[in-house]
Amino acid sequence: MHSKSRISPKRYNPRKRSVQRKLNPMKLVWLVAMVASGLMGLAAYAAPSPWESPAASLAEEIAGILGPGQARLTIRNLSTIPSDEIPSIRLLLEQDLKGHGVLASGVESANTIRVTLSENLRERLWVSEIVEGNETRVAMVHVEPGISQPAQPESGLTLRKQAVLTTREPVLAALETPDGLVAVEPDEIAIYAQTAEGLREQKRVGIGQKRASVRDPRSVIAALPDGAGFDAYVPGMACSGSHLPAQPAGEWTVHCRESDDPWPILVGTILQSDPASGSISIKAFYNAARDYFTGVVTPSVDAELPPFYSAALLPRSDGAGLLINGIDGKVQMVESGLAKPVAGTRDWGSDFAVLRTGCGAGMQIIASGSGEAAADSLRAYELPGQEAIPASAPLAMGGTVTALWSAPDGKSIFAVVQSAANQFEVDRVTASCNE
Amino acid sequence: MNRYPTLATKTKTWRRWGTLCFMLVSLALLAAARTRPHYGGTLRVEIEGDAWTQGAHQRGSLARRLVFDGLTRLDADGTARPALAVRWASENNDHRWQFWLRPGVHFHDGSALTASAVETSLTGSCGAGCPWTAVHAVGSTVVFTADSPLPNLPALLAGDDFLIGYAGPIDSSATALPGPTIGTGPFQAGGLSNGVLTLLANDSCWQGRPFVDKIEIRGYVPIRDQWLDLSVGRADLVQVPAEQLRQAQQQRLTVVSTRPVELLALAVADSGALGNQNLRAAIALAVDRSAISNVIFQKQGEITAGLLPSALTGYAFLFSPDPDLDKARELRGGLTPPPLTLAAEGGAAMQLAAQRIVLNLRDAGFNVQVAGNSGPRHTDLVLLRLTLASNQPQAALESLLRSVGVASPVLENTPAGLFKVEREFLDTHTLIPLLYLPRAWAVGGRVRGLRLSRDGVPLLDGASLEAAP
Repeated sequence: MHSKSRISPKRYNPRKRSVQRKLNPMKLVWLVAMVASGLMGLAAYAAPSPWESPAASLAEEIAGILGPGQARLTIRNLSTIPSDEIPSIRLLLEQDLKGHGVLASGVESANTIRVTLSENLRERLWVSEIVEGNETRVAMVHVEPGISQPAQPESGLTLRKQAVLTTREPVLAALETPDGLVAVEPDEIAIYAQTAEGLREQKRVGIGQKRASVRDPRSVIAALPDGAGFDAYVPGMACSGSHLPAQPAGEWTVHCRESDDPWPILVGTILQSDPASGSISIKAFYNAARDYFTGVVTPSVDAELPPFYSAALLPRSDGAGLLINGIDGKVQMVESGLAKPVAGTRDWGSDFAVLRTGCGAGMQIIASGSGEAAADSLRAYELPGQEAIPASAPLAMGGTVTALWSAPDGKSIFAVVQSAANQFEVDRVTASCNE
Repeated sequence: MNRYPTLATKTKTWRRWGTLCFMLVSLALLAAARTRPHYGGTLRVEIEGDAWTQGAHQRGSLARRLVFDGLTRLDADGTARPALAVRWASENNDHRWQFWLRPGVHFHDGSALTASAVETSLTGSCGAGCPWTAVHAVGSTVVFTADSPLPNLPALLAGDDFLIGYAGPIDSSATALPGPTIGTGPFQAGGLSNGVLTLLANDSCWQGRPFVDKIEIRGYVPIRDQWLDLSVGRADLVQVPAEQLRQAQQQRLTVVSTRPVELLALAVADSGALGNQNLRAAIALAVDRSAISNVIFQKQGEITAGLLPSALTGYAFLFSPDPDLDKARELRGGLTPPPLTLAAEGGAAMQLAAQRIVLNLRDAGFNVQVAGNSGPRHTDLVLLRLTLASNQPQAALESLLRSVGVASPVLENTPAGLFKVEREFLDTHTLIPLLYLPRAWAVGGRVRGLRLSRDGVPLLDGASLEAAP
């Protein structure tokens, strides 16, 4: 057999005869087109298709089974991938198969590659059935699920949330510190340090709970006035934490003791019109067996309070009013020694907190929606009289809101959200005025 | 044979999923209270089966789940989480596991939970059929050893077969309950009186006291009577069989439902008349799943020919569910097996499904009869329901295989590996998957915070009553 081969002599690139030669118009158009196409190529390179990697993996697996040759390729979509993405996935698969010597075509062939774009609860799965005669073999690659974009709320006052901490452990309350965060859990206090990668757990201290735990535990944590520590309360126990600012976060010292002392439910709540109100401190006795405040508070207010879940101080025309959410689901405003029902709170859950926004009346109540659970929401309300008026659109929280409290400066609130997957997320919620 | 669903089929499927989603939304609406849960009150439940065991063919006894805890529990995504064990570790390539017990846990009679009590309970619960070779108490830990690796042991220990408890005296005026009665769970068994099982809140439960004071479970109540009692306020929680889901919606009952978690399958004896594999394959090809799903289960199920549902694997479509009578006859060839018997576990719907399968098999040339309750003890075919124990495909597959007597652990955890395990098992044609069915309950208006476990058992320890005192 004769094989004809031609060997080209080695050549160097010829020198340009004249760099200053004028470009003719056609060449200029061609050059512009080439540059534009290059830029588009670069843009495409900068934003690679999310399907490139799985297509390459599947093509490699198919080629490993089938070997070089020709095959008929069919694709069907049983997943949530939009149908307009299928042509590009097909193109990627064809290119990758070609790279492995498999020529995929639509024509009849002895071999068939049936690709199914499928998915399960956790991930996408691309399955290829490779049919050679009577034999069918299967190859699979899994594809990470896509990220869905949350819908933006629309309203005059817009609430926003930002995840601060995500953990598998149930968080009852948390306090931001200059160096990180302290989270109270049913059995432990977890101390996190702020790092370049985010919050990192530094230390855990057992609370030493001796009595039987409760089913719906709650907690309060408050910063010490000097900022060098905290007081935390869980049912039947009280803990004190202290920290020297010069020491790393791991040097926290935490001591817990059995205690039925009242919990500080309103500490340093700031009334915008009265800076002196920052010193207000109200403590309430907690029924550790039934998970609510008994209604006995100190210092006492001029009215008899029913058992309640939440309380907040609000500026009123004649001073301050105490808003409480009773265990019977009734919201009442206690002012001038009288407890008056508040209308417009039918959709409220058990938790609310006050947010100092500077919008409208300056302070709003943020209440958890009784949207009843798996998809709880938060919404801002104003309370000019005896009726709560919505001041924002509901902010979907992506789970059940299990705790809600105001930040010490009142400019944000914190919420603990339990997801369907039983993860707990501490979210910071802020508001902006849309005026 | 059309292996791929048509557009119309897909539309129907989506419509069915739409209905299911509606029910799941109903579940979400019930999943938490308008306010924080109240304590107190008596929650009344009615079921078709036995109040304590819930019937031999039904796994997931409501009462036992409330009285006992396992060393582990499965969370919503099927991951094993601490329960009576706070942590665990494996050694020697999963041949040895050590579980550390939660300190300070007490049984309902006040005795402390110890490693030796756990050892005794686990040894008694499965005897020679345990997945492990030996279990020993070592200090405050429990050590399992096995000849084969047990990668899924933490998930397996969350199952009903391995709940921790022991037999002990309960209310002397009540009828005695069979098996262990003393556990560590949120409720303690108070006794069975006049067909009503009473469970009392465990004030010192390690998970916290449940919200309701008492649960009354009335057993052996027909579904029709359960719904009537719910409508007049005599019951708070009643059963809704999958085949009556549509009827429940029409009657505007508030229904909570799971994803399809119950596998309806035909077990085929691999000895005797059906010892020939071709005959078993012919039976698998003769069954018309669509007819069973559409006519008997009112399109509430998900047709399947695979062991695991598509939602868990994404590859279930690789197992074709379509009948092929010609191929079934071809596989049967000239073989004419002697008359076969088919038994069905469960109620009327299962009996109807069995009769439908008999018709299919007769079309393929088999002579089959449905065995009555007084029929022969040996049957060639059994129509049964298996429960999907986990949302993790590897653990779920191992659990399903164990429930039909395949004791070897599933070591594969990739989709391709799991498919291979399923394929190899299904090629024996000793179990023919037919349908995945949801589990559902109807709930009264005063119940708050009710959730279902992944396998459809109401989690009553987290439920409360709105009008509780």
